[in-house]
Amino acid sequence: MEQYLLDFDLKVMAPELVIVSAAALLSVMDLFLKETASRKVIAVLSLAAVLAAGVFAVMGFGHPPYQILGDTYRIDSFSLTFKVIILAGTALVLLLSLHLNKEEIETREGEYYYLLLTAVLGGMVMVSSADLITLFVGLELLSLSSYVLVGIRRKDLKSNEAAWKYVVLGGVSSAFILYGMSFVYGLTGSTNLFVIRDRLMQALYSGYDLFVYLALFLMVVGFGFKIATAPFQMWTPDVYQGAMTPVTAFLAVVSKTAAFALVMRIMLIAFLPVFSPQISVGVEKLLMILAALSMIAGNAVALKQTNAKRLMAYSSIAQAGYILVPLSTLGFVLFPSLAYYLLAYLFMTLGAFAVLDVVTREGKNEELHVFAGLHQRSPWLAFAMSVFLISLAGLPVTAGFFGKFYLIINAIGREQHWLAGVMILTTVVSYYYYFGIIRQMYFRSPASLRPIPVPWTAGLVIVVGVIGTIGLGLLPDTVLQSLGKIDWGSGFDLAKNAVRQ
Amino acid sequence: MSLDPSLMHIAVFFIVGIALPVVALGIGRLLRPHQPSADKSVTYESGVDPTGDSWVQFNVRYYLFALLFVIFDVETVFLYPWAVVYDSLRKEMGLFVLAEMLVFLLFLVIGLIYAWKKKVLEWK
Repeated sequence: MEQYLLDFDLKVMAPELVIVSAAALLSVMDLFLKETASRKVIAVLSLAAVLAAGVFAVMGFGHPPYQILGDTYRIDSFSLTFKVIILAGTALVLLLSLHLNKEEIETREGEYYYLLLTAVLGGMVMVSSADLITLFVGLELLSLSSYVLVGIRRKDLKSNEAAWKYVVLGGVSSAFILYGMSFVYGLTGSTNLFVIRDRLMQALYSGYDLFVYLALFLMVVGFGFKIATAPFQMWTPDVYQGAMTPVTAFLAVVSKTAAFALVMRIMLIAFLPVFSPQISVGVEKLLMILAALSMIAGNAVALKQTNAKRLMAYSSIAQAGYILVPLSTLGFVLFPSLAYYLLAYLFMTLGAFAVLDVVTREGKNEELHVFAGLHQRSPWLAFAMSVFLISLAGLPVTAGFFGKFYLIINAIGREQHWLAGVMILTTVVSYYYYFGIIRQMYFRSPASLRPIPVPWTAGLVIVVGVIGTIGLGLLPDTVLQSLGKIDWGSGFDLAKNAVRQ
Repeated sequence: MSLDPSLMHIAVFFIVGIALPVVALGIGRLLRPHQPSADKSVTYESGVDPTGDSWVQFNVRYYLFALLFVIFDVETVFLYPWAVVYDSLRKEMGLFVLAEMLVFLLFLVIGLIYAWKKKVLEWK
């Protein structure tokens, strides 16, 4: 009788269950701890929960795709890979947050950590869903937690402004997504992505193609906001600047990765018929234009930035454009190259934010000149930052170079030479602002010669970032081959145990 | 693919819903005599002479109670249908159906504990 309790279902959801119980327990624990007590224990427990969830996610590999909860939720290699990436990103963000002191979070330390947990839970739901409703619930869980995280410094004016903008624009983008989803539901009568795929084909052939495109267009607008591609990027610099640096790193890496997974799921399962060349080439063009606009706008506006965090925000807009390239061209090595780039992006971005955090914290200033003479003050810090910047710019022997190389191969393989051209040209433009920081570090004289104190947790993040960035750059083929061995296709086939066949 | 006939019903509801007040108020405006006087145009307050401004400030703390109310609202919305089909689900799934609802309630209780500890229930 009680077989349902001991069903396989609970085991495959282990990573999610670990995170959700940790978030619940820690929120209660935070309430019953004394006001004055340190919340470091909550931070450490959150980190342990994220690591445990990561271990469970890794252990889940090697099974055929499995669908649970009435086909709304699926566990497959695609979702597990993305879960591992976002959990790794969250673990590094948590490490980076450990040295935040009470004043900075205005005694809201406990909340900060369990909100990070609920945010990553939302991300995990997003990458694992096969149903519009669960996808949306995951998206909102991630978004709502992020809104609070951005505004967690209640007395900081910039933080308030950032949170307010993020809430309003995030709400608008959610509305766009929902409106698009409602058209999909109206056309197909189902929220299940696989059912939608079959019925969307019928809708296309029986004269409802305009509605299919309208739905797709509305959803792309909404997703454009969430992954911060031009022309929907305007919230990014303000939010990235107003949030605390670890939160910014979380938004730039974890949120973006999860949102990309969600876009890939919806596009490559539900809207696959629309992609087929007999029907239309317009959809691919739409995504390509978004990619090109993001690369151009992000890199062009970054040239004029003087604030380090705003510069990173525009850089992340440009990176979103790069990541969209293989998806919009449906390149034949789409998944391995995308996963490679997302990994590279994780290491170099989190590393750069970690250095940025310790340097701006010491300088009490976020302008680019806080980096002046970093080479004389802390040579190792300057070296690490150079590695990250060179990787972000995409120069050889770093992960960023091979990542971009593989992305370009996708575009050239599909004979989208103009897109590859835009990518190469904008990359060259980006050298200017990335090397602007390197110039500050090596060729400007510092305000003081005092070495910059690096808390060991931030130091660990930096070391992991450097090892990851250079390691991926030294062994690109090995990594790419092992990523290629992941059964990506399984993420887009109906599982054998599906209820609806 | 054709539009579901039930969508037609929804459309009819929409049209009637919009038309009804428009027609009723419109006809009323055409039929009624129009003779305003100072007494007539006073705001109606149950027969009492209105005093003060209608721009009264409500205490912002009310919104916390409204939010708390939502917790219990949601609870009822999900508990009611669950209770209705409980017997048949129980036969099929066993005690799992009870455990699931307890998990749901647990999370709502955590919300209540949170509000309690954050002194939302105290009127200062």
